[in-house]
Amino acid sequence: MSTTAQTSAHAPRGDRASASDREPMSVRFQDVRKSYDSTEVLRDFSIDIEAGSMVSLLGPSGCGKTTTLRILAGFEEVNGGDVLVGGRSVLSLPPHRRDMGMVFQSYSLFPNLSVADNIEYGLRIRKVDAGARRRRTEELLEVCGLAGMGSRYPHQLSGGQQQRVALARALATQPTVLLLDEPLSALDAAVRSSLRDEIRRVQQALGTTTVFITHDQGEALAIADRVAVMNSGRIEQYDAPHSVYARPGTAFTARFVGSINEFAVSPAWAPGAPLPIAADGAEVVFIRPEDLAITPQEEGFLQVKGQTYTGERTMIRLGRPGEEDAPWSASLASAQAGTVPPGTRVSATVTADPALRLPRAEAGGAWA
Amino acid sequence: MAEHVTSARSGRTAKTLAWLPLIALAIFILTPQLSSLTYSFFRGDGSFTTEGLTGLADSGAIVAPLLRSLVIASLTVVVLIATLVPAVVAVHLWAPRLRPLLSILCTLPLVVPAIAIVAGLTTVLRGLASQGRGSLGMQVNTLLQSQDLPLVLVGTYVVLCLPFTYRSIDAALSTLPLRTLYESSSVLGAGMRTTLRRVVVPNIRGSVMFSAFFTFALSIAEYTVAATLSINTLPVYLNTLSSTNFRGSITLSVLLNLTTWLLLAAATLSASQFGQRAESAPEAEPDAQTDPAAASAAGLSPAAETAARAASPASAAPAAPDSPRKEAQTP
Repeated sequence: MSTTAQTSAHAPRGDRASASDREPMSVRFQDVRKSYDSTEVLRDFSIDIEAGSMVSLLGPSGCGKTTTLRILAGFEEVNGGDVLVGGRSVLSLPPHRRDMGMVFQSYSLFPNLSVADNIEYGLRIRKVDAGARRRRTEELLEVCGLAGMGSRYPHQLSGGQQQRVALARALATQPTVLLLDEPLSALDAAVRSSLRDEIRRVQQALGTTTVFITHDQGEALAIADRVAVMNSGRIEQYDAPHSVYARPGTAFTARFVGSINEFAVSPAWAPGAPLPIAADGAEVVFIRPEDLAITPQEEGFLQVKGQTYTGERTMIRLGRPGEEDAPWSASLASAQAGTVPPGTRVSATVTADPALRLPRAEAGGAWA
Repeated sequence: MAEHVTSARSGRTAKTLAWLPLIALAIFILTPQLSSLTYSFFRGDGSFTTEGLTGLADSGAIVAPLLRSLVIASLTVVVLIATLVPAVVAVHLWAPRLRPLLSILCTLPLVVPAIAIVAGLTTVLRGLASQGRGSLGMQVNTLLQSQDLPLVLVGTYVVLCLPFTYRSIDAALSTLPLRTLYESSSVLGAGMRTTLRRVVVPNIRGSVMFSAFFTFALSIAEYTVAATLSINTLPVYLNTLSSTNFRGSITLSVLLNLTTWLLLAAATLSASQFGQRAESAPEAEPDAQTDPAAASAAGLSPAAETAARAASPASAAPAAPDSPRKEAQTP
């Protein structure tokens, strides 16, 4: 008797759970090529995204990250290669058959529908019955921090709230893959970081495979399991966030993610040895500002050109004595910034292994 | 002090003067209508009569043209909305470069007089008929000009309405973030038809309503094309009637006029009402630009303009605020 009662009481919830426990799916791009007219946007682009993980595609505008997302969603066709979701090619499917969720930078809620109707939209199309729709909507309103707002209309909500609704709407159908197209870029700083954490929390709770596009490296590092740094249609590096920052694989990644100092050194140079600033070394080392220790010294080879206060830390801008340029920087606890006012001559030592060390010919940038 | 009074007075004079052209226009338009109305219901000696109305009802000949006109008008609305909306949406989404072309094409009927369109049509129809009895051309000709359902009129009216309806729908769509709405809807599993029905049309409702009312009004009152093609629609019947039952024809014309005015007023109202509703939504202003379209439409037929303008001073009359003051003074 009690067992029956339990079973029936569990039935709807079990139903829901099994639906939201849908097996996460992996995503794979295989040698995808894409060009518009004569411009190549993606060149033999390949990436493996593990089922249930969150990957950021990070890169400057025009690097092909948006095209990648739109190919995955089905809005762009490829010129070659294949795109697999859960091991199956999706290239022949139109967008509305791919079973994905997408959040746009511009929110893109349906202005004629209430919050609840927006969230239910995909379920309605899938002919889910009204009861199940309502339960799912309530659940998502709760999960996305929108409880009690179901009857409002998009224009009555703030940007952050609208983007939460967009997230709930995208998640309602339990998509195989969640696509986030710069979802935070239109929001102001405070909302941005709280919504970022919230997206991450919801994603981890539901275990949905997620692709997050951004040009903001802080965002990419903070939110993702892995970061794919993209540059002119290729992946420069695909790694865990801390590796991308601490061990950049290429000069592009080193320069694009975080700030970096570049020094030309001799092949024999090692951290701890004095830093030469002559521009004729055979190798280039890339050093993070926090790995550069400076001490005031009358004969120091660097001069403080200015300071940028950022709160806890202060960036000390450094250049050659007598020159205006300040090509380097060191990060100092703000309490110590007073010891090196602008104009001070300083010496610098490297306190950790350089983030990257390259033969000069491969360093590109100003070294080319 | 004196200057103030003068300037206030001259301001008031200017305001009164500003009303003059409107009043003149109203007189210009209303006088023939009123005299028609008078003629319909009063004999020359001033006695009241309903023989105009009863004459219409008795003969029964009005039923067929009336039904025909209603069917033509409804069908025109359906065909116009069902083709124009998807076409404009498609151009906005996938071929924005064709927008100027579409705009020119849709405006063309405005610069080609109706009579010229009919002349062209007649030539084509005659060409079809000249293929001889039983030929495909003849069959098409018969089908198009069938008295029961003259498809040729539906087609012509659709074209004649394009300049106004296209502007209205194009303007409404331009204010929507159509691409991302379409893409969000697609990702959520909606095909194009579902997206049109659930997302696009509800967001341009005002201008769709305007287009529907406008098209209905224009096609139910159109005379030139129908008469030239000898299809007995309501306006054509009305003209025929004038030779046998003059009072009846005048009565009918008054009624037809009234219907058209009401429809055009409804078109203008629906456009502005949905526009207002949308204005309260900063993100959703689907119909903010519908009003100019409505105004230009009114330019074609002075009826809507008058109807719209006549409505506003009436509703703005300060009668209501006055009454409480009077009440306050009574004790």
